[in-house]
Amino acid sequence: MDDMTIMDKLGILSDAAKYDVACTSSGVERRGNGRDMGNCLSAGICHSFSADGRCISLLKILFTNECIFDCKYCVNRRSNDVPRATFTPEEVCELTMQFYRRNYIEGLFLSSGIIRSPDFTMELIYRTLFLLRRKHRFNGYVHVKAIPGADARLIQMTGFLADRMSVNLELPTAEGLRALAPNKHRKNILTPMRQIQNGIAENRDEIVLYRNAPRFVGAGQSTQMIIGATPESDYQIMSVAESLYQKFELKRVFYSAFVNVNEESTLPALPGGPPLLREHRLYQADWLLRFYGFQAGELLDEKRPYFNVMLDPKADWAVRHLEQFPVEINRASYEMILRVPGIGVKSAQRIVKARRMGSLDFQALRKIGVVLKRALYFITCNGQMMYRTRMQEDYIVRNLTEESGREKLSFGQDGMTYRQMSLFDDFHFDSEPTVVDRNQAVFGQL
Amino acid sequence: MEEKILICEDSLEGVFTAIYEVYRRHLPRETVRIQTGEDENYRLFAEYIRIETDTARAVKVMRTLRERFGEDTYKDLCMALTTADADKAQAVYRTAAWGLDECDTAKQGHVMDHLADPYVHKVMQLSRRACNELNHLKEFLRFQELRTGILYAKIGPRDNILPMLTPHFADRLPAEDFIIYDDKRDVAAVHPAMGEWYLASGVQEDMEKLEGGFSEKEEEYQELFRYFCHKISIKERENLELQRNMLPIRFRKYMTEFIPE
Repeated sequence: MDDMTIMDKLGILSDAAKYDVACTSSGVERRGNGRDMGNCLSAGICHSFSADGRCISLLKILFTNECIFDCKYCVNRRSNDVPRATFTPEEVCELTMQFYRRNYIEGLFLSSGIIRSPDFTMELIYRTLFLLRRKHRFNGYVHVKAIPGADARLIQMTGFLADRMSVNLELPTAEGLRALAPNKHRKNILTPMRQIQNGIAENRDEIVLYRNAPRFVGAGQSTQMIIGATPESDYQIMSVAESLYQKFELKRVFYSAFVNVNEESTLPALPGGPPLLREHRLYQADWLLRFYGFQAGELLDEKRPYFNVMLDPKADWAVRHLEQFPVEINRASYEMILRVPGIGVKSAQRIVKARRMGSLDFQALRKIGVVLKRALYFITCNGQMMYRTRMQEDYIVRNLTEESGREKLSFGQDGMTYRQMSLFDDFHFDSEPTVVDRNQAVFGQL
Repeated sequence: MEEKILICEDSLEGVFTAIYEVYRRHLPRETVRIQTGEDENYRLFAEYIRIETDTARAVKVMRTLRERFGEDTYKDLCMALTTADADKAQAVYRTAAWGLDECDTAKQGHVMDHLADPYVHKVMQLSRRACNELNHLKEFLRFQELRTGILYAKIGPRDNILPMLTPHFADRLPAEDFIIYDDKRDVAAVHPAMGEWYLASGVQEDMEKLEGGFSEKEEEYQELFRYFCHKISIKERENLELQRNMLPIRFRKYMTEFIPE
């Protein structure tokens, strides 16, 4: 075990960490202090993209893949016969510092299997962060897992060294968790989540009083759940996500299409590959919740618990609410303009600004970046529609699906096409894709 | 009326000097053009005026634009000028002139909202393009450690963004000696540890000498990072097309993880 090289350990422990989705380095703006290494940009930076097209922003590793738990979906479960490795805190620091210097990464994402006990594991994570921040004086981004069941004081102390913390919900419902993760309990997961939420709120008050008070989890907390391992509907999943945003004030909820790594017979076999289209629809809907003012109950309900395969959730909502359209671009509220298919956050903001300078026509909308092919059924400019079109649900659906046919097709062929969402392109797949959480608005992009 | 064409140096200072000259010489705003290079065919009935760059005058224009339009718009104008577009100087000049002459003070902060104007629209497009390039370089630039401990990065950006890129790394790595070399324009940004950075041009030979000698540990870390990038990918989700969309091929020849040993 001890004669393992750093290369061996990195191989095992990054391989074991790859199923964690969150790799964003966003949410905190921190300039360099003129002496130590590192700064943070609120938009985050993706440094590379792996062969699956996912971004590489942080050095994403497990501290150890030893684990006393036996979760059915997890490659590191106790009953699996896989090579095991454990870093030392110093090794993690060295890798982080040297990778960061060369601009390979934005910082560290440290997760871990449960070694000996939750407290023991959390303490190792804390010691690593302490070393990284205090000895190596690293000023870049750190995302760290809070281990469910660990002592609240350890989590508290770690939170003052990290930018973002996350506790994985793993599965959308308590029943799912009970079935697949016999050692984990819903309560143990929600307790640290609540603790971090309260810590952030208290810290906000402290910072108002004392400007230089230490920051606690400055970039907020996130979580992730596995999609397609258990039978929850999209509606259940979205409702869970919505309450996480509202009741736990999470920054992000990530969805991870289930990959049956253990070839576990009690779990779905998924011969067509991971449910990527479903994951994609969930991310689209997640965007609608966070940036477009939608509520889960508007998009789905008990009678329609699954997203439309053919249409993205926003277009789907619009064609079912034709009585609210067309909207007049030169007069409608920002909130209503946001709900028009083909208009993203950035376009909507530009419209509201530009119409102060004079009334807008379709030509101007095109310049602003509106996707008229999709928007034309839902808008008027100065009382006129772009063409004479029928305001009929099936007619519009037919036209919209013809247009987005390629999107579905590319998912269908090999199940592998997957594109992360951007705030600004409004699910428009011809435009240059941008990256989750990269808020280009920060740099003169609005 | 005879058209006047001001020819200036292809730099921020060059274009801003030319704008200064339009006002100083009371040239008619509508018919004067500003260009950063010669026309391929000289136009009949046009008067060509060569403008020598004058830093003091350029700085005056910069200050005025910044004060009147605000930091964001000023940044858009500057970013547009880093591109290689042939009409960039004209677009920036007309946008600035329109904002200064036609807008009342309250509206001057919102010049870039006036997208119906073709020049403003052009500036916005160019600025967005250059900002994307700048962001890409913040992401994809890779340093290598030389034997002397200096960090060295070679880049080949589409737009001339090295001056905007260097402050990002100077803020991030204050205690490092580093050099970023733009091999398309033969310009290097040099940052001494705990010091002020500066630009040096015509340094190709010096840079080629540097590229020979890497530190002992350098190869090991390159290898570790390549291995990490390989391991972090999920086989079941492989999607090279998506990878190519996110990370265009043209950047890869400068990137550690795509350079075979």
